[in-house]
Amino acid sequence: MEPPVNTEKLDEHLKEVVHALHGAVSWAMSHQKEPDLVDKAIHDCEEILGVIMEGKVDDWVN
Amino acid sequence: MFTDKIEAKDFDKMDPEYRDLLGRVLTIQSDCEIGGPHLYVEKMLPAAPTKVDQLIVARTAAEEIDHFRKIARVAGDIGVDVSFVLSTPNKDRYVNAFRGLITTWEDFAVFGFLIDRVGRYQLEEFYNCSYLPLERVLPDIVTEELGHIEYGANKTAEILAKGDETKEKVQKALDFWYVTALDMFGHAESKRSERFRHWGLKRRTNAQAREDYIREVNPLIAQLGLEVPDPLKGRKYL
Repeated sequence: MEPPVNTEKLDEHLKEVVHALHGAVSWAMSHQKEPDLVDKAIHDCEEILGVIMEGKVDDWVN
Repeated sequence: MFTDKIEAKDFDKMDPEYRDLLGRVLTIQSDCEIGGPHLYVEKMLPAAPTKVDQLIVARTAAEEIDHFRKIARVAGDIGVDVSFVLSTPNKDRYVNAFRGLITTWEDFAVFGFLIDRVGRYQLEEFYNCSYLPLERVLPDIVTEELGHIEYGANKTAEILAKGDETKEKVQKALDFWYVTALDMFGHAESKRSERFRHWGLKRRTNAQAREDYIREVNPLIAQLGLEVPDPLKGRKYL
């Protein structure tokens, strides 16, 4: 059976999202003595997760 | 009992009941994976007690999103589009545990300790299952879930170490999530559960899995110095 049209695009998009989140967290974890960097990473995570929580899938895959 | 091993290419040849049950279980699993972040990101990411905890909340959400992605891919490869659960309102989630909003750190910690543990049980049902693409994505997902459970257990213990007032709050959270966890296993006499077992898509009955969970978690609750709640009080699915 053919996969739904957006499956592959959604998969790719979410891979990028997860990669970005892990990148921000790892960066901050290794710079814990620099509060500004940690705050920026947390802010970045909030922004990225905010978009995912909105769940506007059509915006991500079209 | 069905004992064959199925690949995606064989799916269309399968009995309609098998196709229906596999699509259903993948949809519910994907809903549960993304349901977690929808419960706690909004309130807990900004309010976690330390910056490291904030980062761990973000990392936990990232891992759950990745679990969703993997299950959604398995579903998509057999023509089941589960992307709608990404925008499902919390109140409409398949499983009751994901229908609210976590607003306290005690609830977040106990959620990891108890509900992520149920998540592990749900995933373990698919070990050696008849659908191979599903079994293949399990090891990484289960490993990350173990991390969430451990973090939840550690944070629960950490909060308890602060004294009597926090103990009351943790017990209250535990009372709520314990009953919610037991209900997640479903009705003991579920006919659908029997069909999942018939097709090799689950290993245990709902009652067996729930009993295993109780045997594992009750001693852990007692070790924390908390009271094990009445397993029948407030239950919806017996």
